[in-house]
Amino acid sequence: MSEELIKVTINGTEYEVEKGRRLIEVCNENGCNIPSFCYYSDLQVQASCRMCLVRIDKMPKLQTSCTINCTDGMVVTTNTEEIAKAQRAMSEFLLANHPLDCPVCDRGGECDLQETVMSAGNVEERFHEPKNSFAEKFLSPMVANDQQRCILCKRCTRVCDEWMGETVIEAGNRGVNTVIGTYGGWLNCSQCGNCVEVCPTGTLLDAVYRHETRPWELERTVSTDVYSSDGMQLSIGSRGGKVHRIVARDRYVNGLNGEFLDVKARFGHEFVNHPDRIKTPLIRYKKGGKAIPATWDDAISFVADKLKDSKNVGVVASPRLTNESIFTLKRLATEALNSDNYAVSDAYNLAPFFDNLSAPLCNHKEIRYAKTILLIGGEPEEEQTYTAKQMRQAVRNGGAKLIIVNDTPINLIKSATQFVHVNKGSYEAFVLALLDKKNDKVSAKKLGVDKAELEKVRVTIAATEGDFIIMFGGDLSAEAQAVLANSAEKFASDKCKVLYHPLPLYNNSVGANDVMQGKKSLGEVLKESKSFIIGGSLQDANILEEKDFVVAFELFETETTDKADVILPAASFAEVDGTYTNNAGNVQRVRKAIDFVNQSKPDWLIADAIAKELGVDFGYQSSASAVFKAIADSVPAYEGLRYPALKNESKPVQAKHTIHSAKDLSNEIKALTERVEALAGETNKNNETPRIGHKLHRLTTLTSRTPQFHLLANGNPKPENLHVSPLKQFDTDGKAVAAS
Amino acid sequence: MEIKAIGCEPLQLKRMHVKDGHTLKVYEKTGGYKSLKKALEMTQDDIINEVKASALRGRGGAGFPTGMKWSFVPRQSPKPKYVVCNADESEPGTFKDRYLLERDPHALIEGMLIAAFALGSECCYIYFRGEYNYLIDIMDKAIEEARKANLVGKNILGSGFNCEVFTQTGAGAYICGEETALLSSLEGYRGHPRMKPPFPAIEGLYACPTVVNNVETLTAVPQIIEMGGENWRNLGTEKSGGTKLWSVSGHVKKPGVYELPMGYSNLEKFILEDCGGMLHDDKKLKACIPGGSSVYIMNAEQIIGKNVLMDYEGLVAAGSSVGSGGFIVMDETVDVMESTKNLIEFYKHESCGWCTPCREGTDWLNKILKRISEGNGRPEDAQLMLDICDNIEGKSFCPLGDAAAWPVQSAIKRFPEDFKNWLFRNTNGN
Amino acid sequence: MASAVATDFTNKVLFSDEVAEFSPEVVKEMESHLTKYPPERKRSALIPLLFVIQRERGYVDNPGVNFLAKFLGLEVTDVWETATFYSMFNLRKIGKHHIQICKTLSCKIMGEPGITDHICHKLGIHPGETTEDGKFTVSLVECLGSCGTAPMMQIGFDYYENLTPEKCDEILDKLD
Repeated sequence: MSEELIKVTINGTEYEVEKGRRLIEVCNENGCNIPSFCYYSDLQVQASCRMCLVRIDKMPKLQTSCTINCTDGMVVTTNTEEIAKAQRAMSEFLLANHPLDCPVCDRGGECDLQETVMSAGNVEERFHEPKNSFAEKFLSPMVANDQQRCILCKRCTRVCDEWMGETVIEAGNRGVNTVIGTYGGWLNCSQCGNCVEVCPTGTLLDAVYRHETRPWELERTVSTDVYSSDGMQLSIGSRGGKVHRIVARDRYVNGLNGEFLDVKARFGHEFVNHPDRIKTPLIRYKKGGKAIPATWDDAISFVADKLKDSKNVGVVASPRLTNESIFTLKRLATEALNSDNYAVSDAYNLAPFFDNLSAPLCNHKEIRYAKTILLIGGEPEEEQTYTAKQMRQAVRNGGAKLIIVNDTPINLIKSATQFVHVNKGSYEAFVLALLDKKNDKVSAKKLGVDKAELEKVRVTIAATEGDFIIMFGGDLSAEAQAVLANSAEKFASDKCKVLYHPLPLYNNSVGANDVMQGKKSLGEVLKESKSFIIGGSLQDANILEEKDFVVAFELFETETTDKADVILPAASFAEVDGTYTNNAGNVQRVRKAIDFVNQSKPDWLIADAIAKELGVDFGYQSSASAVFKAIADSVPAYEGLRYPALKNESKPVQAKHTIHSAKDLSNEIKALTERVEALAGETNKNNETPRIGHKLHRLTTLTSRTPQFHLLANGNPKPENLHVSPLKQFDTDGKAVAAS
Repeated sequence: MEIKAIGCEPLQLKRMHVKDGHTLKVYEKTGGYKSLKKALEMTQDDIINEVKASALRGRGGAGFPTGMKWSFVPRQSPKPKYVVCNADESEPGTFKDRYLLERDPHALIEGMLIAAFALGSECCYIYFRGEYNYLIDIMDKAIEEARKANLVGKNILGSGFNCEVFTQTGAGAYICGEETALLSSLEGYRGHPRMKPPFPAIEGLYACPTVVNNVETLTAVPQIIEMGGENWRNLGTEKSGGTKLWSVSGHVKKPGVYELPMGYSNLEKFILEDCGGMLHDDKKLKACIPGGSSVYIMNAEQIIGKNVLMDYEGLVAAGSSVGSGGFIVMDETVDVMESTKNLIEFYKHESCGWCTPCREGTDWLNKILKRISEGNGRPEDAQLMLDICDNIEGKSFCPLGDAAAWPVQSAIKRFPEDFKNWLFRNTNGN
Repeated sequence: MASAVATDFTNKVLFSDEVAEFSPEVVKEMESHLTKYPPERKRSALIPLLFVIQRERGYVDNPGVNFLAKFLGLEVTDVWETATFYSMFNLRKIGKHHIQICKTLSCKIMGEPGITDHICHKLGIHPGETTEDGKFTVSLVECLGSCGTAPMMQIGFDYYENLTPEKCDEILDKLD
């Protein structure tokens, strides 16, 4: 798009706009509202609904404003009777075979078609013929389909293709019999549900939410995704203390992710109101005995009593918790328990990365418009879905060069300009080669690739004119992270700006690293302490067997709580106020959508209560915003931040991580070189592209509470064996998967 | 069935009655591939200028000047250029191309090669409608013959010009006769029309510059090169050059394919004399669709005694248009309401479903006409149908919407009696 | 969870992973189609190949679609969306001889209804149906480009023109 401004006259008023802008957007921005169904700014133009007709001087027919780029001196009319008649006519056509079953349609109340027709008003029903009908069906455990309501705007097929890179949902048949569907009638994909999100009518619907409540009865709370480190903004729809659905629809929330969500963010919320949630504090008076319900007061004083005299108490925080909770747990350790034995239970320690960071973190918009992207390890399509979508569009729509270095031919290589297929566990060798050309020979051998490939990577990077983004997954060693993070100077030039984008595994991995300063490694803490306070659960809880005293804050009974002496019911993300920091360094709000389920409390409030009982008052006055102020006061990157500054989800605030200049990292490089040289270098590559969603659908503590995920985790079984209804879920053997 | 030229020497129909006219041997013996040789010695601009001078207009239905279409192709573009022949002849009442393809395939190959040479293309596709499967075999054989004679392939006739000709099949979709839909289909996608601009001349097949021409348009090219554009134009009129094929079907004694010079005088004589008159002598002419089903239907008053000239301008002045030149003649036994219903069934079946007005409008019209034909017509239906047509016309994505609206509009306006019978004489008594 | 049991919303679709196999000659024929297009535009061959599948397997069946998707490097849905657009592809099993009677205007006014009635009566089926022995399927189709010789029909790929009831009898009797 050029910077050049031109003059366009709309309904007699002259506007200055950038040359080449889409007319429909210019009109909408300037208050001449033009209805449209098929137009979607992020997708290819379709021009099929014909709602956006306008009159342009010197053009013979009415023109679709979604296909017109503004030119200088263009004179546009949008408010004449001629246009109104055309729009009425199109609405009338669209409604002809539309069932008008709004009272029983889940989309009723937030349906584009309904709103457009109602706002136009004065639609006379002249269609008195029998309507065409199609069967109602399920396309997957997540997606319900009522074909009759379809207006064939094909947003779903375009989203599937352009956003997700999967052509799974397509149009079939012809003419008035056209349907949206798939071969075999079954959606075999990552089940992201974005087709549901962008559907302007009730054709594709959230099967989990189906017939639960009407949209206008829902209370909507803007919050942040609790699964992926992309920090996608979403809207929690709740009613009477129950979370009914999660959507990202633009009109309620306009976060960095627009209308994009993935399967977990959208559908994995059933754990919030799950009947298995721990209901009260529980105390196990005898090791191996039964956990007995207790009051909060009893439980807290029991914990304080036990810990009062303990030395070196270990405090572990899950990277899923809010910054507030993690920070308070740290303070509990340092100030109330006088212990410096605290850690984050994240397999992936980001400290070496941030300690050596030599260029800013990039946000997701920068990924979309990047010129070169280097991805080392990781699988963003599964773990950081929004990053993956931005990468795909950067290549597809922006012509970016994508270099993927991986031991597995991940699905994203379809978009890659270069795929360096390396041996397992040899990413360090790649980092080493990237660092210095002289390492090429050794690295190439250990990576199991041709030397020329490494040279090609270097040439692509050197030719970058624009943003160059370095991404890496969780499989990089501490030294490799440090060296990579410190190498921006090597690649930067007048034309090329270097940006970093780590791909941590949890929603608040970055925040945990930020606010829990001075943390030790998890292994160290688990080894050294005898007593523990654990926010969340451990991946491997066996080590707790031999410990004296364990307190766990959890939502559900897990292996960790089985070994805990005191179990305190923690609140889920939907019940608390707080913040998460995503992989772009954006500090984003988590907002309380529903009342505490059962007797649960936010983790930070529990820690605060324990501290109080131990005689230390953090001065929070039970207010999350006070905790955040304390974070801002003590963490430099968050300096000056307050909740009001974070209130607009459309303008995410980036934490100010320190940018270090180039450091002397010879020790790290030496360690790296030694390790690389010690690599066997035998060919050891994965050759199979993993199935879409192989990790997304994997059952973990939270998603295991979503009955539909069991089906997906089983490989989304074929429909011939499967009867699907929201109430009954059967696996391929016909056994009920989950009864609710 | 008649195949003959009236009022001119047979040009397009030259080899229709020649034995083995489809073979290379006979084709060359009757003057074939002379034009190609001549063209290969001309410059690209000269060829395009000859075609421009000939006033040749697209014979597929839209009537766009061919020379102009060719001149839009950016010949200096580094992308490959394509010449695509539209042999997806699906317009009801039109069957002229079928005989050209069956009996004179080399004329098309020659025309395509000249076009390809003029446009700097090295690859041509002939897109047949799926039902014309047997013609693909004939064409494949002809291409093979031509290849053996070094008329197709590398270094054609030693000129250094390389060009391949391939056949491609459709599979039963009228919409693929629309040039951009044809290209979608040729790429293996659903046959949906594409947005214009970019026009195919800039971004067509595989996003490369492409020219799509009808069979009859391309077979006219060798004639133009042979006799010169000006001379060819003089066969017809100033604005509509040359001769044109007309397919005649329906209630006439001699249905068939007729070659007439453009501006032939006149329509009444053509139907009532040249085509042998009405099929049954005691039945009078009632209606005529002159250009394939996608044009305004004419009633007898517009034809009889009106000296309608048979060219683009003449038929428009008479209240219809040339279209693809598919005459359907109807005598007084035909109920125009029924024939309109028949055509709307066609358009409903063939609408691709891409845009709202065409998809829903044809379905709606079809339902109304079905109801009327079941005896449940209502007086307000006529106005309703006109209104629906008005809402389709000019608002659809491609011209198929207009094509569906026009027959209905004209039928209701020009045959009010036929509709009145159905709308006011409600057989169900309510 | 929903408040009403939606038991009849079952999703009965037959879909298998089975991939059709073809003789080397047929595969060779399919490969010959690919030579017509630029190498990165293999999808262009989809329509001709669907005809091959239909000829070899009687209709565009599930294993055939799987084969094509693999052969051209497409998703099955890509094959499906194209195949369902074109009226000449049958995604359901049809009779050995597919009788397609043109019903558009010229044929209609020249006597198509009589021909259809005659053929349907003779075979004892309605248009759109298949005879019990699986030999004939009758369809009414739109204009086949043979208006000058109306009424007409196409059986398989063969044109039969200027039909009369007697001629139809003769044609049908000759088919085995």
